[in-house]
Amino acid sequence: MRADRIWEIARKDMASVQRYRYVRLGLILMPLIFAVFIPLVLIYPVVAGEEAPKDNELPPFARPGMPSKEAMVAGLIDMATLMFMVIPAAIPSTIASYTLVGEKVNRQLEPLLATPTTDLELLMGKCMGAFIPTMLTTVASFVVFILVVDFLTLPLFGHMILPNLLSAVVLLVYAPLISLLSISWCVFISSKVTDIRAAVQLGALGVLPLMAFYVLFVGGILSLESLTLVAFALVLISASAGLFALGKVTFQREKILTRWT
Amino acid sequence: MIRLERLTKEFDGLTAVDGLTFEVEEGEIFGLLGPNGAGKTTTVRMLCCLIKPTAGTAFVGGLDVRKDAIEIREMCGLLPEAPGLYGELSAYRNLEFYAKLYGVPRSKREENIKKLLKMLDLWDRKDDPVGTFSKGMQQKIAIARSMVHEPRVLFLDEPTAAISPEAAKVVRDFILELKHERCTIFLCTHNLDEAERLCDRVAILNSRLIAVGSPSELEKSLGLGKTEVHLERVSEEIVRAVEKLDGVRDVEVSGNKLLVGVRDPDEVNPLIVETVVGHGGRVRYVTRTPHALEETYLKLVREGESG
Ligand SMILES: Nc1ncnc2c1ncn2[C@@H]1O[C@H](COP(=O)(O)OP(=O)(O)OP(=O)(O)O)[C@@H](O)[C@H]1O
Ligand SMILES: [Mg+2]
Repeated sequence: MRADRIWEIARKDMASVQRYRYVRLGLILMPLIFAVFIPLVLIYPVVAGEEAPKDNELPPFARPGMPSKEAMVAGLIDMATLMFMVIPAAIPSTIASYTLVGEKVNRQLEPLLATPTTDLELLMGKCMGAFIPTMLTTVASFVVFILVVDFLTLPLFGHMILPNLLSAVVLLVYAPLISLLSISWCVFISSKVTDIRAAVQLGALGVLPLMAFYVLFVGGILSLESLTLVAFALVLISASAGLFALGKVTFQREKILTRWT
Repeated sequence: MIRLERLTKEFDGLTAVDGLTFEVEEGEIFGLLGPNGAGKTTTVRMLCCLIKPTAGTAFVGGLDVRKDAIEIREMCGLLPEAPGLYGELSAYRNLEFYAKLYGVPRSKREENIKKLLKMLDLWDRKDDPVGTFSKGMQQKIAIARSMVHEPRVLFLDEPTAAISPEAAKVVRDFILELKHERCTIFLCTHNLDEAERLCDRVAILNSRLIAVGSPSELEKSLGLGKTEVHLERVSEEIVRAVEKLDGVRDVEVSGNKLLVGVRDPDEVNPLIVETVVGHGGRVRYVTRTPHALEETYLKLVREGESG
């Protein structure tokens, strides 16, 4: 594998894709929702509320071992942190839909396939072109999220509650894995559909595994112990490895030209 | 430069290309002719190592398409049926991207791109997004793209199919210019005039190979060639004298024109002229009937289909 070829493909994809309004909108809107809107709407009212919720009214995801108001706020912060995984799950489907399905329907893949690059280099380039903007957006939004949350909750806790272990795991482990999983899923989808919108929608199914995790957490079935975190990481690793392998089988010159109808 | 050996491609039961065997010499412009669905694009894709043959093989520059895909792609350029440019990127960026993927060293990149864009008269538009270009201009950029790495073999799949006659002429002149640079050119086309004007040799294909040879050889082999002799005035005497010549099949008169069916124009045409002059005819000019390749082609394809 030649890194310069991979990088060149990724760079071209990033340059191409930023011209699409829909992609730019996603790159701006997502961070706004998850870094600013959710903390303000979900967390701030509880922080500012006069009355603390009663102990027996606490939802299952509240953090144990704290006074009720703090427990409630800390639980909500965990919830918002987990929700953050929607960004690396959703952004790739917009980008990869343009760089794969879009290029397929515009018949831009054939000249690319005629170059002396290997199938794997092309695939890696395409993946990287979606991965980099996704991770940049995720990290940037996360920084804003941490600042907003700490600013809102500093008076309550008396110290900066973020970053904590969960946020570090989400940002450094889950987000890249989810992004990879989602991109690989999009590669597979691209071989089946010929419509960018359909690709975006099907690609968004990449959020499913984390929705499952999220629901289990909010419902109190999973608590955020290290064991759970490790188990979820393992689930993500195997799912993304499996999907990447599927993407690799899908992304072969001959198939792209003759079977990706 | 290119050698096909029983090259075959099947798609789930349908044989798109059936046992092609022929050779293309270095520096030659070779035309692949055939009706829609004849397997031209499929053949080119196999030669560029985009798809694998299901049987037989081919060698490009001595390398086997089944084994040396990367090396073959490195030395080949491909203009696909659809230009497939990145409309949102500038002409220059489109070419630069491909130059990098073909591993053209930095110092050569700019030089090559500049040379091509200047030759195609698009250098002043180099910074404009290709999406704003006309079809003909886009086709020129796509041709430039297939050549940024100075390939030794160039595959052109219907280079002038979707563009205006003027743009087509620029493209054709450009192809002829490449010939001087010893680039081997493999051209798929429907345009028989174009093939006749550009190609040293052609192959006629309808999933199987029907014929291969220079346009005039093919005409000769079918005996379809005609020589037109335009005279000031046609006389009975001239017609009878020409009819008697060896190698003349038939003579038709149309106005002041003699249409002479000949097997080997190179040999017979001088005799015809001599005879005409000897019988007091005044020759205005002598030509071959235009569209001779078209007739040859149609005849061969029809024969191919019925047999
Ligand atoms: N991916 C594919 N799957 C199945 N059949 C195919 C595929 N690609 C091509 N074919 C078939 O192979 C045959 C040859 O197609 P090809 O595109 O090579 O023809 P062509 O000579 O280039 O035609 P045209 O002049 O229309 O471009 C056709 O019958 C076509 O339907
Ligand atoms: Mg074709």
